[in-house]
Amino acid sequence: MRSTRSLKDIVFRWESFLIALLLVEVLVFGLINPRFLMPRVLFGSINNFMTISIVALFVTFVLVTGGIDIQSGAIVGLTSITIGILWNDLGMNLYLALVVGLFIGIICGALSGFFVAYTDVQPMVVTLGGSFLYSGIALLLTNFSSTEAYKGISGFPDEFTQFVRGRIFGVIPHQLIIFLVFVLIAYILLHKTKYGRYIFLCGVNRHAAEYCGVRTKLVVMSTYVLSGLGAAVAGILLTAYLGTAKTDLGKEITLPVITAVVLGGTSNLGGTGGVIGTALAAVVIGILRFGLSLANVNTQYLDIPVGVLLVLAVAIRFSAGNPTVQKIISKLRKRSANP
Amino acid sequence: MKKLIIALMVLLLATTAVFAGGAQEAAQSDDVMVVFVPKLTGNAFFEAANDGAQAYAEKIGFTVRYDGSPEASVANQVTVIDNAINSGADAVVVSSVDATGLDDIMKEAMKAGVKAVTWDSDVSGDARTVMVSQGTPDILGKMLVDMLADSLTERGKNPATDPIKYVWHYSQATVADQNSWRVAGEAYIKDKYPNWINVNPSNYYSEQDAEKAITIGEAILMAYPDIDGIICNDSTALPGQAQAAQNLGMDENDVSITGFAPPNSMKNFARADVLARWGLWDCQIQGALGCYLGYYLASGNDIRVGDKIDVPDIGVVEVFPNTVLDANAYTADDSGVVLLPERAVFTTENMDNYDF
Repeated sequence: MRSTRSLKDIVFRWESFLIALLLVEVLVFGLINPRFLMPRVLFGSINNFMTISIVALFVTFVLVTGGIDIQSGAIVGLTSITIGILWNDLGMNLYLALVVGLFIGIICGALSGFFVAYTDVQPMVVTLGGSFLYSGIALLLTNFSSTEAYKGISGFPDEFTQFVRGRIFGVIPHQLIIFLVFVLIAYILLHKTKYGRYIFLCGVNRHAAEYCGVRTKLVVMSTYVLSGLGAAVAGILLTAYLGTAKTDLGKEITLPVITAVVLGGTSNLGGTGGVIGTALAAVVIGILRFGLSLANVNTQYLDIPVGVLLVLAVAIRFSAGNPTVQKIISKLRKRSANP
Repeated sequence: MKKLIIALMVLLLATTAVFAGGAQEAAQSDDVMVVFVPKLTGNAFFEAANDGAQAYAEKIGFTVRYDGSPEASVANQVTVIDNAINSGADAVVVSSVDATGLDDIMKEAMKAGVKAVTWDSDVSGDARTVMVSQGTPDILGKMLVDMLADSLTERGKNPATDPIKYVWHYSQATVADQNSWRVAGEAYIKDKYPNWINVNPSNYYSEQDAEKAITIGEAILMAYPDIDGIICNDSTALPGQAQAAQNLGMDENDVSITGFAPPNSMKNFARADVLARWGLWDCQIQGALGCYLGYYLASGNDIRVGDKIDVPDIGVVEVFPNTVLDANAYTADDSGVVLLPERAVFTTENMDNYDF
């Protein structure tokens, strides 16, 4: 047991590696294109990957239990179109509509979570079904709208859109502050509460957790509810940021979300991981894409470096903990010491 | 672990440097940089438009950066345009996936001094300076009818006096553009060819479903064995209708089929003499014209409604008010529509000059 954290522990934590990576990115991209370092530009880029980051925070909970959630993109779209229709076509108060949107996220998460926790169907299959179901419902809902499905519902009041689009001192986007608040909430929930311990325990060994008196089914289900809620929040933010409510908002975020969680150090086998790692990884990926784009790399090729980063980083991370690899490394080290 | 981390860092740094280094050269010159944004990358229509834009820009002497995401989505397009603003582009030329979703980012671009142009698919009128449109309903409706009349004449009919039986076959009753072409085409027929007979004034719809287009196509030919012409103003309906005629052993001498579709989707039917001619606008010129207008604005020129702009190699284009496309559109002096000077009619003689 570690009672006190030595400096070495902190330096060699995965999160420290991600921070170093972030600094390297800022340095390299700043050298390539000095515009990158302008605070307005650098902070402004954050607006474009906040949806992924916020969803990833809560999908981390699901992966820690050993599950996976690929329905969050569909929930983002469903939340968005529901809010749009309630507000635009049914004349509901916008803020009430936002609350309904959050409830939709909770219900969607609970439904899939129930099937994952109380049946033995694989989480991948359940949430794949969920993604079809929820995006299908979102398309169905557009029939209640006077706006055609291919057009978004727009014209939201300024106070709603500006709350998300605004910047403090004209530099720091509100979305960044909102993100940091959610990081704090997720961090406390997963790392500082008994409930968070239960989530880890379910991921390490569900049977053992069950024998310890943890109601594992409820805990597993609750992680999907949280991830659905996170997706609904992201749906609201994206609707406000784009100023349009559409069924297909968020459809492209599913795999980037999983990427951020896994790069953040959460094992897709469950049991290990953390919110801070996910948050850092989401920013590392976002800044990488933005920086390369400013360096004139075409958007359609940006998946290549992200793919390389993910596979390499995770491969090294896992092999570093592998005893055979460790033996080889120490052998190499000895050889280089005594030539 | 320490060595591994250092190794990983170096590797990442190297990858980034290689990626960025290769791309950096393009941005060195003082050229005007136009960012050309498709709805999505990897689609034949948009790639062809990009080819046209690149070749044209090279000739005129400005840089076109083609930037889009493989997935058509509003959020992706917003990111691409935002990055264009941040990287100091001079103009963005966008085919929007959403009628209103890009309005705010386009306005932001204009505020930041980046010129905003749309092509193929528009945003709101106040969110861009000019739109390069494939044509007004009147132009495209007339073009469809004229193509049919030409095919009929070619096989010995006289469109001016014979009681020509014809019908429309396209996607569905709810799409705005195709219906507006039909309405304009019908008005043109009533005016010029009052002797023509529409055998089914409520039209045939195949809902952009390739299989359904064939089924509906066969149904039309069996229900009216003596039909003279079928107008398919939809790029799925046209190949489906041609396939139907081929399945029933008919060719261009039995029935005249025409409509709008990219040349590549119809070349085999034309070679088999199933149809004589069909049309579309040249998306390569559309891409080139859009980028040129971006460059034109970024070079310090103003575009106002009523202006005539001389576009090298393409011709003189006039800036019309937004109402030419939609009677309810936003009108302002500094927001207009430019129509492609010409659309292309494809036949076996010229179709191999087009690759899209």
